[in-house]
Amino acid sequence: MATARYRYSNSELWMAFFTNLAITALYLAVVWRLGSVPKASAFFGHSLGILGFLLMLMTETLYSLRKRTRSARWGRMATWLKFHIYTGLVGPYMVLLHTSWKFGGLAGVVMLLTVILVISGFIGRYIYTAVPRTPEGAEVEARDLARAIEAAETDLQRWLAQRPPETRQLARRLIELSELRTEARTPLLVLGRRLMEWQYRLRMWQEKRRMDQAARAQAAQLERLLARRRALRRQMASLAMARRLLGLWHTVHIPLGMALFTLAFIHIAAALYYATLLR
Amino acid sequence: MNTRRLGCFTATGILAAIAAVVLAAGFVWARGGSIFSPGPLNAQAGGQVLGGVRSHAEIGGQCGRCHVAPWSGEHMADRCMQCHTDIAQQLLRPDSLHGALVRQAGALQCRTCHREHRGAAASLTVLDTAHFPHEAVGFSLHAHQKRQDGSPFACTDCHGEKLISFDQTVCADCHRKVDGHAFVDAHTQLFGDRCLACHDGVETYGRHFDHNAFFRLEGQHARTACSQCHTAARSLADLKHTPTDCVACHRKDDAHNGKFGTHCGACHKPTHWKDATIDHNKTGFPLEGKHAQVKCEACHANNRFKGTPTACSACHAKDDAHNGKFGTDCAACHTPTNWKDATFDHSKSNFPLTGKHAQVKCEACHTNNRFKGTPTTCVSCHQDPAFHRGAFGTRCASCHTTAAWRPAKYLGSHPAIASEGGVGINHGHTSCRTCHPSTVRTYTCLACHSNNQGGGGGD
Repeated sequence: MATARYRYSNSELWMAFFTNLAITALYLAVVWRLGSVPKASAFFGHSLGILGFLLMLMTETLYSLRKRTRSARWGRMATWLKFHIYTGLVGPYMVLLHTSWKFGGLAGVVMLLTVILVISGFIGRYIYTAVPRTPEGAEVEARDLARAIEAAETDLQRWLAQRPPETRQLARRLIELSELRTEARTPLLVLGRRLMEWQYRLRMWQEKRRMDQAARAQAAQLERLLARRRALRRQMASLAMARRLLGLWHTVHIPLGMALFTLAFIHIAAALYYATLLR
Repeated sequence: MNTRRLGCFTATGILAAIAAVVLAAGFVWARGGSIFSPGPLNAQAGGQVLGGVRSHAEIGGQCGRCHVAPWSGEHMADRCMQCHTDIAQQLLRPDSLHGALVRQAGALQCRTCHREHRGAAASLTVLDTAHFPHEAVGFSLHAHQKRQDGSPFACTDCHGEKLISFDQTVCADCHRKVDGHAFVDAHTQLFGDRCLACHDGVETYGRHFDHNAFFRLEGQHARTACSQCHTAARSLADLKHTPTDCVACHRKDDAHNGKFGTHCGACHKPTHWKDATIDHNKTGFPLEGKHAQVKCEACHANNRFKGTPTACSACHAKDDAHNGKFGTDCAACHTPTNWKDATFDHSKSNFPLTGKHAQVKCEACHTNNRFKGTPTTCVSCHQDPAFHRGAFGTRCASCHTTAAWRPAKYLGSHPAIASEGGVGINHGHTSCRTCHPSTVRTYTCLACHSNNQGGGGGD
């Protein structure tokens, strides 16, 4: 079977980034036009708040509803997750601009919770992407991972067999470097994987620097095979831990979200009472 | 697949929501509505205690002191007025700042200009000075947009530091530089130094002022200084109520001593007193014919107009060619066109003109301009002809008519034909000269009768 590739794209992050960039440009244009920061209760500031909050509501409700349905006609879970992340970044940013940079009272608490929730979301996504998933977003089972690891191992052995002995000698060093330092089911395997990968790449780079041109070319081919195997092994090793961490993260993220939206509705009610409907 | 049946409504989620509500409620209970405040209230202490406090910050947690429930029917302004009673009084006076502002823009509310929650030291009044409706306070800034150097006026140029007050001496101080000391000093001396009493920022009453809308300035009036008519004017009301009747200014100029009333403009023009016109037709003596060409002073001697005698003899006594014989009513015969255009109804006299008499010129009978007393007997004009001189007396009319001398009808006795009666039946139609060829004293029958058979007749 073809080696499974469980990689996540960051497209929703880039989209959210450029959307926020455009919103920032518009905001700055309004600031320049008004000569001051737009007030939260003025037309532009108010619109930012309303639209931002609607996006945040969509972030919470639509993704949750999709998760509860069985039907595939509502689209792939992976797509809905991207939507959740996109609106979860753009909405809070608009709400931040809506504050006119004043963080007193209940509104300030709501903004603080929003920021915490966004940060929590980044953490959750980091944990989430530690769990290998299919393109549809379904979790990959351990046996599928084992099969994938076996396939990667076979590819590696086949490559080694086709190389001369001096190359195999060289490969042994690199293979040794690619081994995971720990197989323990620790949260570090999940939470620290990025750091571990950077450290691995640094070691590989240092090792390849000592090689000549021809050897470096061979090492590059080997490195790709080793990276795939290493990732699969790490995923296999951290699968259970990643799931546990994700569950734990949900127990924080969801109540935060509930508190946030509760206070947000109180803030909206108070704004309506004290300001919008004021005669 | 999410196995949580309630999605995000987990136990911890619901607990967190409840906790948030409880915390918020607790805060509201402990600190009032301050958690909903968008910013600190103004803490600058005013000079007086209003509503029991000196600053808004002292009622920071009592949102209801200012904020009304949307369903209550009240307005926030009502809460403002509960403490700021002086402003409530001002609103009833259109001449006050707030009264004028509200009258000018009824939708204005307190918070349109007075903003709160901007910090303890922030100003409570936020004025859009560029769009402040200055005319609402009785003075438009229409003519006060730019200074002499072209830069825009600033509020402090006139108001100093306190925008709600204004010292009118500022006007003169600035205008001395613009219009010169001499003008301003003279102006304030004539009209006082309360500039706003007349000037509303729109009307400068200078060269662009349309005086004609109130009183047409023509002739000499246009060259008269304002203060000569608007004497002692100290306000717009004084200017507007300056009397416009002629006599208010020209009583001393009345050459007629009041005899023609006080409306000089009925005859006189503002160009010059002498440019006077009067419609004589409206008087008791319409000017016709030569009368219309005569100068006023020819009849109205010594500027006497009213009461000037209208009898002909008052002016024409010296012209009386009849030496008073026809009385003093020249108009009975004469017209104003020409003395000679005279008409006399002789039928009203004791000598109606009939026949040839009517064609005779007046002077043929009335010699030496003698009219009354002219003899009416025939012989006073008509000599007895040789034909019958002395035969018939002086009563020519007994035989003759005024139509012509002939034919004449003798109706007296006729001795030669006495048998026929006085009129001579057989001779009545004969001409006198047939029998009396020379004179009536001689006769002959041979003109008709060859053998003197008789006959007779009239001439």
